[in-house]
Order: sequence, then structure tokens, then C-alpha cells
Amino acid sequence: MTSSLNHDPYISLSKITKGYKISGDDVPIFSNLDLEIPGGDFVAIMGPSGSGKSTLLNMLAGIDRPDTGSLRIGTSRLDQMSEAARASWRAHFMGIIFQFYNLLPMLNVAENVELPLLLKPLSAKERRSRVEKVLDLVGLTGRARQYPKLMSGGQQQRVGIARAIVSDPALLLCDEPTGDLDRKSADEVLEMLRFLNRELGKTIIMVTHDPQAALYAKRTLHLDKGNFVEERRAAL
Amino acid sequence: MSSHIRQSFVMTRANIFSLPRRVSISLSMVLSVALVVCVLAGFLSMAKGFETALQSAGSPSVAVLLGGGTNQETGSDIPASVIRTLEAKTDDIGVARHDDGSLILSREIVVTVDVKPVGADAGRTIALRGMDAAGSSIRDNVHVSDGRLFASGTREIVVGDRFARELGLLVGETIRLGTVDWLVVGRFSAQGSAFESEIWADLDAVRSAFDRQGQVQSLRLRLAEATSLPLLQSQLSTITTTPLIAVSEADLYAAQSGRTASLIRLFGWPLALLMAIGATAGALNTMMNSVSDRTVEIATVRALGFSRLSAFMGTWIEAILLAAIGVACGLTISWLAFNGWQASTIGANNARMAFQLVVTGDVMLIAGMLGLAIGVIGGALPAIAATRLPLATALRSRG
Ligand SMILES: Nc1ncnc2c1ncn2[C@@H]1O[C@H](COP(=O)(O)OP(=O)(O)OP(=O)(O)O)[C@@H](O)[C@H]1O
Ligand SMILES: [Mg+2]
Repeated sequence: MTSSLNHDPYISLSKITKGYKISGDDVPIFSNLDLEIPGGDFVAIMGPSGSGKSTLLNMLAGIDRPDTGSLRIGTSRLDQMSEAARASWRAHFMGIIFQFYNLLPMLNVAENVELPLLLKPLSAKERRSRVEKVLDLVGLTGRARQYPKLMSGGQQQRVGIARAIVSDPALLLCDEPTGDLDRKSADEVLEMLRFLNRELGKTIIMVTHDPQAALYAKRTLHLDKGNFVEERRAAL
Repeated sequence: MSSHIRQSFVMTRANIFSLPRRVSISLSMVLSVALVVCVLAGFLSMAKGFETALQSAGSPSVAVLLGGGTNQETGSDIPASVIRTLEAKTDDIGVARHDDGSLILSREIVVTVDVKPVGADAGRTIALRGMDAAGSSIRDNVHVSDGRLFASGTREIVVGDRFARELGLLVGETIRLGTVDWLVVGRFSAQGSAFESEIWADLDAVRSAFDRQGQVQSLRLRLAEATSLPLLQSQLSTITTTPLIAVSEADLYAAQSGRTASLIRLFGWPLALLMAIGATAGALNTMMNSVSDRTVEIATVRALGFSRLSAFMGTWIEAILLAAIGVACGLTISWLAFNGWQASTIGANNARMAFQLVVTGDVMLIAGMLGLAIGVIGGALPAIAATRLPLATALRSRG
């Protein structure tokens, strides 16, 4: 199961509708959304505030579910899976990077990064060595015992990235990963995402407001009035 | 370790580390649990102490004979023929004998009399006991603390220490009981037991003063050995068809204390339960607060793939742990404050009686269970709430 998805995390959304009830009124966000993202892609999703970018990402993560339509990732139909199945699916195939890092303040860096590994049948020793490796990868060697609160935003987001990739998922979802960072830290984080995409083959979907950030992606989709317009495709 | 246990464990650990953010509300839960535990432990140890005091006051090698289908002295009657037959027996009936071969026994009656202290308006009702000369010696732990015992056939009385203290009675004074005057010739102590609130006098003197000629309410016998009671009981059944009850003094007191102890428990339990309900509501509030305080953290780990069960367990175990701390505090305080504490209450024959509270293992176990139940029940609902957090909404807010 792992290998089939990890080899081809092909994302296919078809005829997705999704709305919220806001003070009694049904407010549609997507009425007929189609989207295909092949494995290995790095997609930036842009669009005005309230256009449904986070909602889309949450549906891809299985945190939210579409009202109708089909949502397929690899061979899994996320829209048909139970809550528990989606949780386990996330644990195995997906890493999430949050705008506000969402690190647990009372756990140190290593413990935060270790969290997704607790869901897998790994020994403590294996977990430790994986955490160490991934901290090296994001440039936080030797910071394992620090607490997130004492770190800069850029460093905290690198912990967030480490946590997202520690269980080696094929798909990374990032909701404004640089939204809370200064330019320099943002560029570092984006470099890292590009590295993960190019060198490690991760499929990345990144929501961003920042056109500069979008330049790191292979292509940019603009979300407008509940559907996508392809804005830019990288020359390469 | 299974993944579920590992998840629950790490969630619980994270919760506990985050407790400093919720110090005051968590402390209030701990305190309310401690209070409930203290109250219940207090009542239970009071009941226990009362039982212990009375049980130890009674001697297993003294038998008390009661007749007339009652297990109390009041209303009991023993026919003279029974006593004569018993005394005529020369073979072993389980009762110790004097050097001259006569049985060591005391025939007794109790009349209630009103005593009016000098200068007081209201009288006090007190038990005047008429007994044979051997009476005081068939009571373990009784000794004359001042003066001497009454002499046979005289209107002399000895007065229990507690009663003498309360009325300020001195040896050599006379008081009026019924229609005649009695001379106080001595005082006795009975180690704080109910006897200390009695007045003792010669059996025949009491009978004639209160027109109870020939009456015997109870018979007190010194057993040859503590194990002789069954022998006495079987002998009794052969000499008379009158229903007689022969019990050891220890059992008699135990039965009497049982009633009072039940009464204490009957009062203590509802109070403790009522407080426990209040504390459960408090625990509910504390844990709801904890869940909302940890909303983003719970949503984050759930987004990483943690199970609902781990969100439930993390919250529930936190509640149970807080309750456990409360239980530990409550039991420690109970132990320090109550164990060995002196108390007194109304005992047999309407006399006050003193006893010590004892916080036993049983008491601690039961009070502790009630305290833990507060956490188990009060934490369950918030724990369920933790599993129902809408993740998408929770993740919107800044962590
Ligand atoms: N749980 C919810 N309940 C009600 N309305 C919601 C909920 N989640 C999202 N919405 C609404 O759906 C719309 C889309 O929200 P969403 O967060 O997806 O937008 P967004 O594109 O991510 O915006 P932003 O750029 O500000 O993050 C908004 O109007 C929002 O108010
Ligand atoms: Mg958003």
C-alpha cells in the first residue's frame, strides 16, 4: 500500500462541491471543482483571501471532506474513507506544514519531530536515528533538546518541515508556510521545499499569498470564483 | 507498545507539561477532590473509631444474660427461678466460681433517675444501677478512683467519674434520687466507657427505694474462659424454656455501637456524595477549560494522524491524575487531622461516650475511590469533547 501510493501520489479531484453554513445561509465555496496534480509536482496555489485555498488543502489532507464529488489520491478515495481511516492515511502518506508551525510548546524539538513516528511500528532507537537524520537535513543539527519557544520563526518552521517529512511521506501540504516569516527566513524555507521536491521527489502543494514564494514552485494555480486558472508554469 | 498506547502516552505527557498554563483552575479541582475525600474520610473514620472504642470496651470473658426477648437491658427481665437453678448447679456451666464455690455473678437492675444539680433549673436523666457486690469486679477496666465501693444493704452510691465531674459531686455529699437521700462514698473510672456516666448502688437498696422487689433485669457473669460462652448457652437451654439471651459483653457493645456507627455513616455518605457531585461539576469545568486551552495542540496532532482515542485518553488521564493528586492530599490531610482525634457522642443508656477517630486502610480506600470517581466521571465528557474538535476550525487559529 505504502509503495503504490509513494510511487504515484497522483491527485485527482472531480466535480467537487463544498460549502459552509454561515449563520443559517449556505455559502458555496466550490461548486464544480476539477483538479489533477501528477506525482512529483510542486504546485503553488494562490488566490484572494476567502477563496477557499485552506479549505482545499484541508480536503486534500482528509481533515475536511467535500460535500459531493470524488477526491482520489493514488489509489485511495479520500471522500469515501472514514474519519479513522483518513487519520491513519495522513499518518502514512502525508506531511503537513502549518503557517504558525503548530509545534507543541511543552515538547522539545526532537520530541516534536518524533510525533508522526509514534504512529508507526518503530523502536525508540529507530525513531531517534530518523529524527537525528531529518534534523541534519533541515540544518538543525544539535538543536534536538531545545524548546521551540526559544527559536526564531524560520527555525521553528524548519522544525515543522522536519516533522512533516520525518515519516517520509510522498505528499507535502503547506498552508502559507512562509506567511509568518521575514524574507530571508522565507527564502530558506522555500529553498528547502524546492530541495525536497527536486532531490527527494516529494509532491508538494503549497498555498501562498506571496508571489515570490510561488516562483519556487513548478507551476502556480490561481483560485478564483471556485475554480482554477493556470497562471504560470516554470520554464523548466 | 502498541501505537494507540504510545499516542495516548505522549498526549498525556504533553498535557501534563502544559498544566502550568492552567495552574489555578487545575488546583481548584485538586482542592475540591481533596475536600470531598476529607469529609468522607472524616465521617467513616468517626464511625470506625466509635466501633473500635466500643468493641474494645467489652470483654469477651464476661457474659451478659438478658431475658424477655430483648438484647438491651431496658425491658429485659430474668425470672428468679432461673437464677436459683443456675446457682444450684454444681457441675461446670462455664462460669467462674468464688473460692467458696459460688458463681461469680451480679444481678442487676437499671432505673433512670432525675438528678438536679444544686442551683440548676433542669434535671438530668441518669442511669442508677443496682448490683451485687461482685458487680464492679465483673467489669474489666473499672477501678475506684476515690473513696470506696458501696456497702451491701446501705443507701450508699459510687458515682462514675464523668458524671461526678459534670455535676461537681464530691465524696461525702448526699444527693436525692427518687424519694430518698443517698450518700456518695466513692467514685470510679471506667476508662471513658459508658459506665462512667452511671451511678452504682447495692441491688437491694435500689430495689426497695424504687419498689422493684425481686426484679432482675440482667445477669452479669464472669466466664471461666473466653471460650466458655457456648457451654453456658447450652446449659441455659436445659434449665429453662424462658427465652434467654447470653452474649459476651464484647458482642453486646458491638451490636450497640453498630447502630450509632450506621447513623454516622448514614449522615456522612449523603453529605460526601452531594459534595462529590459539586466537585464533579467543578472537574467538568476544569477539564473543559483544559480542552479549549489545548485546542490547537489536539487539532495539530490529530492532523498529523493521531487517533481520536489518544485525544480522549490524554484528557481523561489528565482528569484522573488531577483527581489522584486531590485524593493523595485529602488522605494525607485526613490522616494528619483525624487519626487519633478525640471525639464523643451519645452512647448506650443515654450517656456520652468518648472515642478516637481511626483512619483505617478501608476508610482510605473508600474515600480514595470516591475522589477518583470524580476525575473518572468529570473527565469523561470533556475527553469526548476533545475527540470531537473540528480540526479545520481549530487549525485556523494561531498555535
Ligand atoms: N469551518 C468553517 N465554517 C464556516 N465557514 C468557513 C469554515 N471554514 C472556512 N469557511 C469560509 O470559507 C471561505 C473559505 O475559507 P478558506 O479558509 O478556505 O479561505 P482562504 O482562501 O484560505 O483564505 P485566506 O487566504 O484568508 O487564508 C471563507 O469565507 C471562510 O469564512
Ligand atoms: Mg487560508
